[in-house]
Amino acid sequence: MKRVKIITLLLIIPLFAFTIHKNYTSLCEIEFVENKQTIQITLGMFIEDIENALDKDNDTILKIATKYELENIDTYFEEYLNSHLKISINNKKSFYTYIGKEYDDDIVRFYLEITDVTKLASIEVTNTSLLKYFEEQQNIIKIKANKKNKTFYLDGNTDKCLLNY
Amino acid sequence: MKKILFAILTIAMISTPFFAQEVAPKKDKVQGHYNISKFKQLHEELPTPNKEHNAAGAPGNEYTQQKVDYKINIVLNDENHSISGNETITYHNNSKDILEYLWVQLDQNKRAPDSKTPDISGGGPSALYSPAKFIKNFMGKPFQGGFNIDHVKDANGKEINYMINSTMMRINLPQPLAGGATFVFNIKWWYNINNYREEREDRSGYEIFEDGNSAYAIAQFYPRLCVYNNVEGWQNMQFWGRSEFALEFGDYDVSVTTPKNFILNGTGTLQNPKDVLTTKQVRRYKDAQTTYDNPVYIVTPEEAELASKEKSDTTKTWKLSAKNVRDFAFATSPKYMWDAMAVKLNDKTVMAYSLFPKEGKELWEAHATRIVANTLKVYSKHTFDYPYPHATSVNVEMGMEYPMISFNYGRVDKNGSYSERAKKGLIHVITHEVGHNFFPMIVNSDERQWAWMDEGINSFVEIIAQNSYAPELYPIGDQPKNITHYMSGDQERLSPIMSQGGTIFNFGANAYEKPATGLFILRQTIMGPELFDYAFKTYATRWAFKHPTPADFFRTMEDASAMDLDWFWRGWFYTTGTNDIGIKDVKKYHITDKPTERTINVYKRYGLTIDQIPPSLYLIEEDSEEFTEDLKNKKAEDYAILKEYLENNFSAEEKATLKAPKYFYELTFEKLGDLIMPIIVEFEYDDGTKERKQYPAEIWRLNNKEIIKVFPSSKAIVKITVDPDEQTADVDTSNNIWPKTTTETKFDKFKKNQIKG
Repeated sequence: MKRVKIITLLLIIPLFAFTIHKNYTSLCEIEFVENKQTIQITLGMFIEDIENALDKDNDTILKIATKYELENIDTYFEEYLNSHLKISINNKKSFYTYIGKEYDDDIVRFYLEITDVTKLASIEVTNTSLLKYFEEQQNIIKIKANKKNKTFYLDGNTDKCLLNY
Repeated sequence: MKKILFAILTIAMISTPFFAQEVAPKKDKVQGHYNISKFKQLHEELPTPNKEHNAAGAPGNEYTQQKVDYKINIVLNDENHSISGNETITYHNNSKDILEYLWVQLDQNKRAPDSKTPDISGGGPSALYSPAKFIKNFMGKPFQGGFNIDHVKDANGKEINYMINSTMMRINLPQPLAGGATFVFNIKWWYNINNYREEREDRSGYEIFEDGNSAYAIAQFYPRLCVYNNVEGWQNMQFWGRSEFALEFGDYDVSVTTPKNFILNGTGTLQNPKDVLTTKQVRRYKDAQTTYDNPVYIVTPEEAELASKEKSDTTKTWKLSAKNVRDFAFATSPKYMWDAMAVKLNDKTVMAYSLFPKEGKELWEAHATRIVANTLKVYSKHTFDYPYPHATSVNVEMGMEYPMISFNYGRVDKNGSYSERAKKGLIHVITHEVGHNFFPMIVNSDERQWAWMDEGINSFVEIIAQNSYAPELYPIGDQPKNITHYMSGDQERLSPIMSQGGTIFNFGANAYEKPATGLFILRQTIMGPELFDYAFKTYATRWAFKHPTPADFFRTMEDASAMDLDWFWRGWFYTTGTNDIGIKDVKKYHITDKPTERTINVYKRYGLTIDQIPPSLYLIEEDSEEFTEDLKNKKAEDYAILKEYLENNFSAEEKATLKAPKYFYELTFEKLGDLIMPIIVEFEYDDGTKERKQYPAEIWRLNNKEIIKVFPSSKAIVKITVDPDEQTADVDTSNNIWPKTTTETKFDKFKKNQIKG
């Protein structure tokens, strides 16, 4: 019976895209704040989607953003982000601090920070979040740095973007 | 003479706050240009009005529309999941045109092995392949879907010649059909039904439950006549899968033969309840017609449980009849329970129904039918009273609409529990799909061409309806702020709303949310609910059971409200522009009776001397060299010239009502975005009070970049905020506040709270 369940998750949820506007998207906003020498990252995704992904990966029933939510839910999030959102600054892999998350309606927003960045010459973002379970997942990356804005649309075919200054 | 000169000078001074600096003409001759005003009327974009679609946006006095009646006998085969039909079509050519052929939609051919739909989507390998998809894509065993046409015959049983081009079939008429004439013909067909949970499919199909029972959501399932009108001729653009469809209205008599243990509902009224329901069910079916407060079961959970366990070799036939509908769909399963509630709309009663298996029971029995009822009430208020006898929501794991019936998702856990998010999703999907009864099932725009006319307009009314059902889950007001994420995206990946549905990037944001938000802004901020609601209702009423175009909507909204909205349609619907209005500069002025240098200079230019200036008052900027500290404490009434004028010209009573401002502010607003919007300003005074002022969008008609306003005030302003409630989809609010503070970003705020906590 497990197989049926997997198919259900994999295939049913993306159906709504046409007739009802459930979008399979996440939005990652990255800003280089020069005077603080930090890169501020906020990543928003649908709670339902990340919950499905975490439950499948870990064989759990997490009940995120309900009263049944685990106390250590952040460790699940952090681990998930570390394996799916990867950032290189100036051609070097960078590590971000997980500051926390907030729930906003049906969205969870993660706040991440990379400190001690004096100059930003290039930034490479790899985001494979949710691609494993949602065929139509699109991960949007908005980068605001050095007085320029640039948006990338990542998906199952392209999960990486690079910006040189 | 002097008087005239004075008048001229006064006008010159009023209308030019600063002297335009004389700039030597550049060497290069500046080129002329067409009218590039953002307020340019839409004469070139909109089609010329005619006698079918008139200039007011209403159907013209020569408006005609075809009518197509169907008699269909359908047999559903549960063993091999196939369906066959014998369909007699009566086509009424109500136009004055002579038709050589008729076009018929064969939507099922999208699933045929030779369908071109998979060929038009590009991209590399998918992130994953379901077994069914893998076999279909790589192992050469495509699903054997698509129509099998057994015959097309005329009323006398004679074969008619036809030609199939993918999802469209041309019926080659034996003789051209004259205006006003009628043509009767018959099509016999069958096809294999898709498993909508295995094959990725979003509008119809069957599913098999764990207990082995199946459920069918059957739609776009019979050959259907295309719309023929004077705007597009035959609307026979191919069905690629995304952009939906438009159909002619007509009367339907349909019979569906199912296994005996199945429960069914569809478009139209059940003609033979006694043949297909038990005596008890028939009684409950009748009783429900007068039960208004709470849903009651027609088919109970226990009856559904029993039917699920039954294996029946016999069949029964459901007969449904519908008047003036543009399509027919149905859903059927042995697992369905059926609940019902009567809904009062002014002087009529309509029914709200839900059909669902036990997999959705707890959520659906608590909310589904109530949401249907709420949708009918709210939409009726904003358009017209729901004209059909019932609206039915069926539990199918998708979201899709047909006349009187829609398929909506929402299932519960194994133990029957569901989350608040699942409830929220259910409110959303049912409101949306039942709402589609109004747009486009009744106000029947061409969905294949203009996705926004059904999805966007429907999503707009949905905002109000969802809020009415669950205000805590669906608050009103965040829509403009939320759309900015989409609108500020990469311009290469944006399309104007006025684009054909198949060519749009980011379909959901473009065809649903952006037009819905645009109408929301029109209603809440630009027109106000009173003007908007009347015009919107006028559009819906005018075009109910007809085929409107975008121009009919745009024109009606203006015609019924006396508001020129061409600038709004032009910007929001025809471009991918964004709104970004900010406060650039604020200067403070004080009153003096001493002529300022500026005034003296004006007089000099006309060869007049200082003593020729008549007694006047002047405004002087705080930062200018002429300013002296003592002016700060002067009130307008302190100056003899104003005092005397007041004494001589006003009675004591009148004087009591006059109040001179103490402060004068010169506000400079900048517009960095290319959309036009009103400027909404909030002034916060030194005593803590606040005041709002809204400058109409027309403030930008002569200057598209920057506007200066003088704002008199009796209190000192300490803070100015542009668009304080974020009503105008401003994509960058960092320039919305004066005095400029290094505002904490959302990120900084969150971080601070996190450390504190």
